[in-house]
Amino acid sequence: MKTTLKNPYVYMLFVVPTVAMYFLFFIYPTITSFVFGFTDWDGLNPRQFIGLDNFVNAFKDAEFRSSIWNNLIILLFSCCIQVPLIIIFSLLISNVKRFQGFYKTTVFMPSILSTSIIGILWGYIYDPDVGLLNNFLNLFGIEPIYWLAEPKWAMFSILLTNAWQWMGFYIVLILAAILGIPKDIDEAAMIDGATGVQRAWYLTVPLIRPIINVVIMLSIAGALRVVDIVLVMTGGGPAGSTEVMASYMVNKAIKYGDYGYGSALSIIIFVIALILTALYQLLIARRQERIEY
Amino acid sequence: MPVAVKKTIPHFFMIVYVVIILVPFLFVLFSSLKANNTEIALHPFGLPKTWVFENYKEAWVKAKISVYFFNSLYLAASAAVVGVLMAAATAFAMARMKLTRISKWIYQLVLVGMLIPGNVLFIAQYFLVRDLHILDTHWALFLPYTAGALPFSVLLLVAFMHNIPHELEEAATIDGMGAIRMFWKIILPLTIPALVTVFIVNFLGNWNEYLLANFFISRDALRTLPTGMVGFRDAFQTNYALVCTGIVFSVLPVLLLYSFLQRQIIEGLTAGSVKG
Repeated sequence: MKTTLKNPYVYMLFVVPTVAMYFLFFIYPTITSFVFGFTDWDGLNPRQFIGLDNFVNAFKDAEFRSSIWNNLIILLFSCCIQVPLIIIFSLLISNVKRFQGFYKTTVFMPSILSTSIIGILWGYIYDPDVGLLNNFLNLFGIEPIYWLAEPKWAMFSILLTNAWQWMGFYIVLILAAILGIPKDIDEAAMIDGATGVQRAWYLTVPLIRPIINVVIMLSIAGALRVVDIVLVMTGGGPAGSTEVMASYMVNKAIKYGDYGYGSALSIIIFVIALILTALYQLLIARRQERIEY
Repeated sequence: MPVAVKKTIPHFFMIVYVVIILVPFLFVLFSSLKANNTEIALHPFGLPKTWVFENYKEAWVKAKISVYFFNSLYLAASAAVVGVLMAAATAFAMARMKLTRISKWIYQLVLVGMLIPGNVLFIAQYFLVRDLHILDTHWALFLPYTAGALPFSVLLLVAFMHNIPHELEEAATIDGMGAIRMFWKIILPLTIPALVTVFIVNFLGNWNEYLLANFFISRDALRTLPTGMVGFRDAFQTNYALVCTGIVFSVLPVLLLYSFLQRQIIEGLTAGSVKG
């Protein structure tokens, strides 16, 4: 009777399918990525082992370097512009009583939709002739702008769409943390005569710092993962101005059949992601203690 | 500052934000019912002069939105169901069965999976499905979708199952119940709230997936909505109304699901990131 939950055969029955799937679709591809990355391979002919050549070439490759910059721009935009806005909007929603649920439901809405569909939708908003944005600017007498066709505007357009899709998701995350703070702390500060802005800045923001860290981490990870929106809206163009690491990797592998090089790029992306996560953990997250109230 | 003014300031900013969120949806909805591009261009904010519902019929039938729609629906649902069941079985074994050492190992292994960014495995997975001879079939999506959802699902379900009181299964053991029946009759029913959350999160992820769907499937009849819609846009580039109709078809079911289950969806999608 005691052995019911110790039966190794039943245990295997429950665990083996998952572990097998896991090996097949996570562990095995990770290993093959590493193997492909050290070869010159077009996907058809036998693989030629070429050592570190792909990695050396990657850092000499001006297009890849500029794609790293573009990821960095997305990352900086998310952390320096989006995150402060997200905190401000979360504080605003937490301060209202009426319509709080409505605001929360509405701002979250875009983050459940397909990025590629949002890419198509915003493609129409950016359309130079019939698009909503130029029509709107026309009301103020501003000449039509070729949002996705001009290098100086294309990246901005992608950033705007990305922010439109994801800000609400993070707002809801932070809002949950703010609403979890016991009311009496805030009331005590109010009795002491602190203004709303003072209370937000000196009380609420320090108390939700752990969740702000989570949001910054997710933004960094998200900035490295951007790819669908680029493939759907610009394909990396015009003139490579919106190419990100992942889209460049996909284009190199699929369009040019350079699978060895593409795999090397995927390893580089993986390593960059690991380094950024580790750096962030070491420099910032570790210094924060958990806040108990 | 008078209190009334103070109270309206947050609402003012939030209403601007809400308008920015909603206007693109309304623009697409109105455009989908307009007769032609000229009307969209001249009156982008206005209601359609005549409501052209034929656009919907045309997109559904001619542009094969119906095909993409059902491909997406059954793939997203079946992969989510199978993934949830596999994750639940594994989570049960790890959380409730008494082989703790091996369970710890498997748990660590699954944690590593959370660290691997999906895009990184794209090329290797392409050759994996090619070598399995399932490229350009729905298996090429079903298997990676099911597998891809496992780490998050297992971690969430293990955490949930740990909190079920042990007395229940002790009583069941005394009654002579085996582990498999215990899983079906006791643990699974008690886990339903978490199972629903995991199912929704996986379903939405599969329904919206683009990268694999675009490159692992080339036959038009097998395409899912995100890729089918991109192909549709490229083919009907000049017919704005028709493409907007397609967007409505892809967005509407998800928004309906969201309106019914928004609490569960919000909690499910944020659960993975808030650790306490």
